Amino acid sequence: MTILPDSNPAPDEGILLTFPKGLLGFPQLKAFRLFEPHDGYPLKFLQAVEDPEVSFTCIDPASVKKDYEVPLGTEEAEALALESPEDALVLTLVVVPEDPRHMTTNLAGPLVININTRMGYQIVLNSEKYPLRFPILPQD
Amino acid sequence: MLVITRKPEQSIIIGGEVEVIVLGISGEGVRLGVKAPRSVQVHRREVFEAIAAENRAAAGTRAPVQDAAALLRAAQVRKPRVR
Repeated sequence: MTILPDSNPAPDEGILLTFPKGLLGFPQLKAFRLFEPHDGYPLKFLQAVEDPEVSFTCIDPASVKKDYEVPLGTEEAEALALESPEDALVLTLVVVPEDPRHMTTNLAGPLVININTRMGYQIVLNSEKYPLRFPILPQD
Repeated sequence: MLVITRKPEQSIIIGGEVEVIVLGISGEGVRLGVKAPRSVQVHRREVFEAIAAENRAAAGTRAPVQDAAALLRAAQVRKPRVR
């Protein structure tokens, strides 16, 4: 199962993405493989090429919060070389605690990836509208 | 740490390409302007650290993710239903 056009990666190789700035707190890791294992749906996995011990669980935030949008500054859009919003793949990182019912996703630091260049940046959204720990499952 | 005294509208240059300008002072707050090339990311420290901490927590996830995915599928996450 692949989400990017014109890609036929071997299923175990994932899709190679470059984050020129790394992720916040992980500036040294710039190359990642994105996996979408069948039994992991709707979660995806981003594994660092330089350090395969480091991998992030992520999700399409639109499946968690329907109206989620990333306001991109022109500078960010330029850095990403995004020509249209359709070229962007947005993922947010997921924290799964011991009790997975309380898993959260970070809406304040989305990863925005240009699906044509396969280059991505972690964007910082500084607003109460974008919680750091947004519960993925309804909490009672 | 280098300590420099600046007045409003004065600035410092870092590395020849980043300029930090004191725009104004009011009470406890100092308004700073930062001119930097696109390749330099500028964040408020506490925001940067909060996101870096969440990133580390996400990387440290060791819980069985298959269980989490199953919960999500059961709960809500919409997949087009073809029947």
